[in-house]
Amino acid sequence: MTPHNGEALRLVAVRKEYGTVTALDGVSLSLPTGTFTAVMGPSGSGKSTLLHCAAGLDRPTEGRVFVAGTEMTGDDETALTKFRRRRIGFVFQRFNLMPTLTVLQNVLLPRRLAGMPVDKARAVATLRRVGLGDRLNHRPAELSGGQQQRVAIARALVTEPQVVFADEPTGALDTRSAREVLALLRETVRRDGQTIVMVTHDPVAAAHADSVIFLADGRLAGSMLAPSPEAVAERLAHLGDDLRVGV
Amino acid sequence: MMFGLALRSLRHRTGAFAAAFCATFLGGTLVMAFASLLDTAVADGVPATSRETLITMAGVVGGWGLIMVAFSVTSTLSLAVRQRTDEIALLKSAGATPAQIRRMIVGEAAALGLAGTLAAIIPALLGGRLLLDLLIDTGQVAPGVQYAFGPFALTTGAAVTFAGSTFAALLTARRTTRMRVTETLLEAGTRSGRTSRKRVVFGLLFLLLGADLAVVTATVMRGEGSDAMQTAGQTSIWVAVGFALLSPVLLRASARLLAVPLAVAGAAGYLARHNLSGRTQQLSGALMPIILFTGIATGTLYMQRVDDAALAAEGLRASVEQDNIKTLNFVVVGMLVLFAAIMLINTLIATTMDRRGEFARQRLTGATPRQVLTVTGLEAAVLTVVGVVFGTVAALCTIVPFTFARTGDPLPDETPAVYAGVVAVAAVLALATSLATTRRALRTPAVEAVAV
Repeated sequence: MTPHNGEALRLVAVRKEYGTVTALDGVSLSLPTGTFTAVMGPSGSGKSTLLHCAAGLDRPTEGRVFVAGTEMTGDDETALTKFRRRRIGFVFQRFNLMPTLTVLQNVLLPRRLAGMPVDKARAVATLRRVGLGDRLNHRPAELSGGQQQRVAIARALVTEPQVVFADEPTGALDTRSAREVLALLRETVRRDGQTIVMVTHDPVAAAHADSVIFLADGRLAGSMLAPSPEAVAERLAHLGDDLRVGV
Repeated sequence: MMFGLALRSLRHRTGAFAAAFCATFLGGTLVMAFASLLDTAVADGVPATSRETLITMAGVVGGWGLIMVAFSVTSTLSLAVRQRTDEIALLKSAGATPAQIRRMIVGEAAALGLAGTLAAIIPALLGGRLLLDLLIDTGQVAPGVQYAFGPFALTTGAAVTFAGSTFAALLTARRTTRMRVTETLLEAGTRSGRTSRKRVVFGLLFLLLGADLAVVTATVMRGEGSDAMQTAGQTSIWVAVGFALLSPVLLRASARLLAVPLAVAGAAGYLARHNLSGRTQQLSGALMPIILFTGIATGTLYMQRVDDAALAAEGLRASVEQDNIKTLNFVVVGMLVLFAAIMLINTLIATTMDRRGEFARQRLTGATPRQVLTVTGLEAAVLTVVGVVFGTVAALCTIVPFTFARTGDPLPDETPAVYAGVVAVAAVLALATSLATTRRALRTPAVEAVAV
């Protein structure tokens, strides 16, 4: 029984205002389970706000958010945290690992905090899969940026979330590490049916996704299936033009 | 160039330096207030006995104040420098030479010391006048003596706060800049750091000195009546300072011991345990004042009570000189304890605010605000327990030998209520400060705070 009909994330007319500034202007979208979606747009287009609202890191001013069919509710931070930690995984540009914990302890932390059974064997298996089986007892500071990001990915996957949100996951990495991280994200989608939403400004990174959603001035400005870096870059360069024509 | 950078960084990092400024300011006030008693004493026309009282007061109490001030200025300053390990690593990787970074750190400290000294002049003047009034009111100084604030106050104040903070910065800077860039960056990640051997040696030396004084009190001073206070009174201070210097070592060992009870407290206990062993150096900054507070307050208060009881039992009335000592004792306790309390609040606020990024990371990993609060609450509880235990040992180094010398019994027949009160104040200060600061830090949304 799948009450959400294979839908991992759904946004209904989500608006977000900061004071008099409208960061998101009524965005509606639906992402099927097991897809890898990139969100792109010029800076100030609202892509970070979209990610924060969709991931429960921020409350939309208006509109509704559903994760795997369950509406995100809760007025306070505690309720939101409890919603997030059972359904959503995060990968950030700056990794955000706990410096005093080892690699393995970092990966197990979300389960501990959520009061879920601490499944060490599974965490070790996940770390092996991201290629860090021999780094279990290292501290984050002893790893390269690419390795730290792979720890963060293992940590995001360990609670078996319905959606993983990645915010510029390759922004702090060199080209080679970036490629490895993107391949790893792709792989979790292809092999495990994981759903990933990635915000990026890099057309090469976006080209690893199944589809790209474009955002401009807080509104959806089109999408693209099976993106290539050139096509994405081309589209991005003309986002402004489309809008001007539309006015 | 580096001094310009130093001033700019002071302006932008007001939070991190507020604690250091607070310490230099309060230290300056305290030291100058007592040193002004010397200015008052050397003025013409002051009766000989009044002069002697004033000089003793300034010497004994001011001397202890000096040690406390040097201690807190050094600890808050090195805290401020250590908190910026990553910034220093960045400067190094941008091409700053160790000498340039040293100049920047020392420049900041010098500016802080100068500002602290200047700001302290007026409060010190008022405080010194208040002290003189107190001495005149209790009949220990002749009524006609005029208050003076002059060269003694100014030079001592400047020497302690300005020179002290500059020297402290030099020491810390040397330690930081000796590391290679990669090491510095690595330390920025873990920030555990090791306790320097010099610190351990000094800590042990103070403990030895305290032990020696305890033996002297119990043997040489036996049957000397209230005079035993001369050696007994200092003992808890030396021992407490010794323990305070050793606090990172003590905390690391205690954290290992307390791992078992913390394991019961779920995920928050788990994180607290790892923080206590992984961030010992930072957290031990708050342990020092708890040890000093508990040790000095408990030791001195009970010593005075034991002496009062002994005098009453002997059917003697306290002489003027004994009254003097009593006032002195209470002023010492009041001052040192006040200073330790401020140092505790200061350190806790500085270290907690510095952890905003860490709290945000915990939250993004799935910790509820309550879980984050529980972590810091547990840490504060551990700090309190460890601090109170070692503070009590320090206090006993005064109480046991003194009681023995005065009455022949090892332990005083006194109410435990005073001790309970001291412990309660320490616990409330530590817990309330750290919970309130964490709650404040949690008000920033996690996604924003994580970028700090």
